[in-house]
Amino acid sequence: MAAIAHAERLPARSWVARFTKSEALTGYGLISPAVFLMLVLLAYPFVLAVWISLTDRVLGEPGKFIGIGNYLKLLQDPLFRQTVWNSFVYTISTVFLKMFLGVILALILNQEIPCRNLIRGAILLPWIVPTSLSVLTWLWMFDSLFSVVNYILLGLGLIAKKIPWLGDPFWAMVSVIIVNTWRGLPFFAVSFLAGLMTIPKELYEAAETDGARAFRQFWYITLPLLQPVIAVVVLFSTIWTFADFQIVYILTHGGPINATQIFATMAYDVALVAGRIGEGSGISLFLFPALLIVIFLMLRYLRRE
Amino acid sequence: MQKKRPTHQRADRAISRRKFLGVTAGATAALSFGTFIRSGLGAAKVNVLTWSNTLNAMDDVLRDQAKQYTKDKGVEVSFEFINQTDLPTKTAAAVESGSGPDIITLWSNGPHLHDKALVNIGDVAEPLGKELKGWTNIAKDIAIVSKTWKAVPWGIIPIAITYRSDWLKEVGYQKFPDTYDEMLVMAKKLKGKGHPVGFALGRAIGDGNQSHYPMLWAFGGAECKKDGKTVAINSPETAKVVDYRRQLFKDGETEDVLSWDDSSNNRAFLAEAVSVTGNAASIYWAEKKNAPQLREVTDHALWPKGPAGRFGYSTAISLGVFKFSKVQKEAKAFIKWLMEPKQYSAWIGVGEGQFAGLLNYYEDDPVWKKDPKLEVIREIPKYVRMPGYPGPPTRQAAEAMVKYVIVNMFARACKGMSTPETVKQAESELKEIYSKA
Repeated sequence: MAAIAHAERLPARSWVARFTKSEALTGYGLISPAVFLMLVLLAYPFVLAVWISLTDRVLGEPGKFIGIGNYLKLLQDPLFRQTVWNSFVYTISTVFLKMFLGVILALILNQEIPCRNLIRGAILLPWIVPTSLSVLTWLWMFDSLFSVVNYILLGLGLIAKKIPWLGDPFWAMVSVIIVNTWRGLPFFAVSFLAGLMTIPKELYEAAETDGARAFRQFWYITLPLLQPVIAVVVLFSTIWTFADFQIVYILTHGGPINATQIFATMAYDVALVAGRIGEGSGISLFLFPALLIVIFLMLRYLRRE
Repeated sequence: MQKKRPTHQRADRAISRRKFLGVTAGATAALSFGTFIRSGLGAAKVNVLTWSNTLNAMDDVLRDQAKQYTKDKGVEVSFEFINQTDLPTKTAAAVESGSGPDIITLWSNGPHLHDKALVNIGDVAEPLGKELKGWTNIAKDIAIVSKTWKAVPWGIIPIAITYRSDWLKEVGYQKFPDTYDEMLVMAKKLKGKGHPVGFALGRAIGDGNQSHYPMLWAFGGAECKKDGKTVAINSPETAKVVDYRRQLFKDGETEDVLSWDDSSNNRAFLAEAVSVTGNAASIYWAEKKNAPQLREVTDHALWPKGPAGRFGYSTAISLGVFKFSKVQKEAKAFIKWLMEPKQYSAWIGVGEGQFAGLLNYYEDDPVWKKDPKLEVIREIPKYVRMPGYPGPPTRQAAEAMVKYVIVNMFARACKGMSTPETVKQAESELKEIYSKA
């Protein structure tokens, strides 16, 4: 009797033993905390935001499902259309400027210059300083009355009358672009610098032997080898800039006359101040499909590379 | 001979691990029990979330009053002071999560925005009205939603015209003009002397809206009809006020106003860059410390009259009790106590014109006798209306305000857009907002 019972229990025990000894299970066990964190901290809020954007929910009320009603309404809203335009102008200009200046800065920092390490460290400052604090300083620098930028430009005779940095729709956009570029440039420069340092010196030596000048070396060696780094940095920066909030909120609050209103600031006004969280979620998720395509294409390109 | 190990001697004297754990656990239990007993067997604690006043002394009074209340009534009250701009986020989080403070500070249209999350507080507001000569009409507009008191109006931050009396005298004015037309003539003269006027046209949620809603109403314009649903901005009256605003900008104002946020006009006035602006008494108060020589020549006036009368919009602040609060009764009792003359007068007394009550009783508060330059402020509550007027201060009206629809309508005109065009744009923005349920 006992022997039969033992025999019946045996396969079960070995199954458990097999399972616990399996590498796959150990693997799953090890990544489960990370998966759990991703689910709780990323997936859940995201899915919830998508769900809320499909409802007419206002603060404190459950709201009802209205499909893509919020998105359709947003498309008809002149203010939202302006916001989309502003967001694109803001993102494309700043990412382009950061990329262009970032490459130049990285090339300079890659040269044998005095105090190179000190400069490399110092260059990171705008990136390290809390954005809200540094932007408050910029706010003073662009102040209509006390702008130090105007003071210097007037003193140098470069302008005849003060520039209304934050008071004119055009200049306000220029101001937020300048500050975003200033803040993000170190990330670009340092990433590019890291990329530059991985390029083998022999390639340049060979090119020099073949008679290639600096520009051709840059065009045919540096740029192609830097491309994967550029792609990743641009991808990240595009996503961050589309979602940027602090710079615009502190400098202009989206003004004047909505000239600098971007997705995040408009979503904040609509969802949290006016209490329409359904529509607010719609605003912040509006670009998600487009960004998804960009991310997909970029990642595919990287994998191919 | 083997030496006896000293550790044993120590072990004999020392308490055992088990004994140590036992004593610690016992002490902890006794202490917790003591705390529990002292707290009055889980006595109520009322948490109040409010904004941190630019005038710190007013917050100090509240802190002291909370302590006094705890001492007298045995109910603990704690104030949390946060930046005004963080209030919407914190309120939204509390409403959504169903947890947070018991008493919430609500800005202007707040009781209408969050009415579903707030308890009926008529049992506090109505007795207060009876005891203290009744509520002003605007108090009822702010706090009554669907015939139910959803908050107790704490008061308003009265917005008056702040002006330089010496510069006005220079151009022949002994006192501030009573109508918008006269103000335009005066502004032109002032700008001619290098002292332009300035009313915020940037993203100044307070000053921008507070300067321009009253102007719109004074000329007979309105964003919507009395029903609070039909958009009515596109009218001859609006066209008139837009033309007026453009003229004022051109003839008498500093161009900087387009970039002004809520603190810009304070700075400009203190830097003697503008002669007239619309603001709370905070400029006058700041001068006390930073520019006493300017305080002598700074004065206040009511907003001018237009063809349709005199109006004002000052930020209103109310106190509401959340439905999720476990201490609703205690929270209501505290609000009632806070609004009673002894406490309220002490609080607004420190404010020196930065705050005005909406109970008629407080129109005669001693604070208004302290300084003749502040006396005019006590009249402001009479003229105050909320965005959305002549309709109720609905969610749509709040949205139009936070989207700066009215301010931007004027700003576009000042930047050169034609009147019909800018009014039409405002109309389409308002229609979009008011089309939402």
